[in-house]
Amino acid sequence: MGRTMKLVRTIALLAVLTVTAFVVPTSAVQPTDVSLVKIRHADGVAVGGQDVIWILAVGSDARPGQVMTRSRGDALQLVGINTRTGSATAIGVPRDSWVAIPGHGREKINSALYFAGPRGMAGAMRNLVGIEPDYVLVTRFPFFEDMVDDIGGITVANPRPFQDPYLKKEGFKKGRIHLDGYNAMAFSRIRKGLAGGDFDRSANQQRTLRGIHARIRSQADRPGFIERGVMTVMAHTDTNASPGELFEIAQAVAQVDPRRITTCVVRGRVGFVGLASVVFPDVAQARRLGREARPDAALRGC
Amino acid sequence: MPRPSAGRVHRARRLVGLALVLLVPLTSACQPTAEPSAAPERLSRSDARATLASHSVPTKVGIHRVHGRLPVARRKAVRKDVGRVVDRWWEAAYLGGTYPRSSFPAAFPGFTAAAEQRARADKALLTNQTAGPRIDSVTPRKRSVTLDVLASGRQARAVTAQFVLRFDTSGPRTGTTTVRGRLFLTRPRGAWRVFGYDVAKGAR
Repeated sequence: MGRTMKLVRTIALLAVLTVTAFVVPTSAVQPTDVSLVKIRHADGVAVGGQDVIWILAVGSDARPGQVMTRSRGDALQLVGINTRTGSATAIGVPRDSWVAIPGHGREKINSALYFAGPRGMAGAMRNLVGIEPDYVLVTRFPFFEDMVDDIGGITVANPRPFQDPYLKKEGFKKGRIHLDGYNAMAFSRIRKGLAGGDFDRSANQQRTLRGIHARIRSQADRPGFIERGVMTVMAHTDTNASPGELFEIAQAVAQVDPRRITTCVVRGRVGFVGLASVVFPDVAQARRLGREARPDAALRGC
Repeated sequence: MPRPSAGRVHRARRLVGLALVLLVPLTSACQPTAEPSAAPERLSRSDARATLASHSVPTKVGIHRVHGRLPVARRKAVRKDVGRVVDRWWEAAYLGGTYPRSSFPAAFPGFTAAAEQRARADKALLTNQTAGPRIDSVTPRKRSVTLDVLASGRQARAVTAQFVLRFDTSGPRTGTTTVRGRLFLTRPRGAWRVFGYDVAKGAR
């Protein structure tokens, strides 16, 4: 039995060697056909013939039955996307910032939406930061929740634990946390549990935007993902962008390099106008951020 | 120690022999050859048949899904029109024209002006420019396009075209090239235009 096995093994070894001799060609004879497949990759998106597009994202606090484009704009992020370099930036503005609203004098910036609609909000933002957005995207918080759920939730990096007795009793842990629609809304809305109040809340909104971007980027090559995303945005927002333009913006977002995202919240001093608590924004800083980001959607500092 | 029976040894030898008989044709099939049977006929450098050969495989265009409502007739129109845009790019960038050549001056028909500008910077992938001088002829093997259509108001507004293009090249640069990826199209003034791309290219 042992001799038989030895014989079989010897023959099997010979077979393997023979096969190897056939399979591995000499490099001198077959120069092209045995080369490894080398795959290279390129991507690019050009939207509207300009390198940078600016979108003002507004979270309206409209209650059921209220028109969301004629309510207060509580979450305000001016987002720039550079389709040439893949960089992106978000400049956050605290909702209580005391600014000039075109045709309405000085008011809290969140009331610009109530007084003058999306166009008025864009004007208020231009007065403060110096950048006129190409598009204004207004949504309300329940719609925002639906949109986050529709893309399968997001992951954010939370720098500190915080909670809110009404929106999130058990609170948010420090670290990387996964958020569904409701929790993404709560994470972006809570102010009272944060030491920096409105400023920290605006920074949290930017963390949410990073999470949304990461989710879109990771799923963008799934057939139909971007189309479904655009459909849900169309269903849940009011915007001056056409469906085709939304599609172009979504593809541009998908191609943003997460390492090239810079964010900053406009600083300010808390004070009072009459009895109302307001933020007097650091206009010089806001203008500097606008000047820096306008050409290439990249901030050098905050 | 009992000796193995002659029959058993014989059977073992037969099994190994059978295995070898089965393996040899397999390995021969896997063995790379300088002139694979599927390779196109090698053409002389002045042979214009390279252009004609590019039309031998039709482009298959299908719809993966329509997001939104779109009447059947318009679905067909989208397939036809977008398929034509993709085809025009493939012809201009890879399959058509005479080889060898190193110049691809009009490789992006159907791209927006801004997308064309981007694409020019990626010509190494989006055309045959790098291998062109070492190619005598190009023969398409697979031309496949699958569309995801975004529709609103019963009109097609945007399309993602997933595609695979595979072609053989002959000449000093003999081999098979696969180009696959996605093209993003909208219809700004009634005509489908490519405004973005995500393309990978590999050759062996």
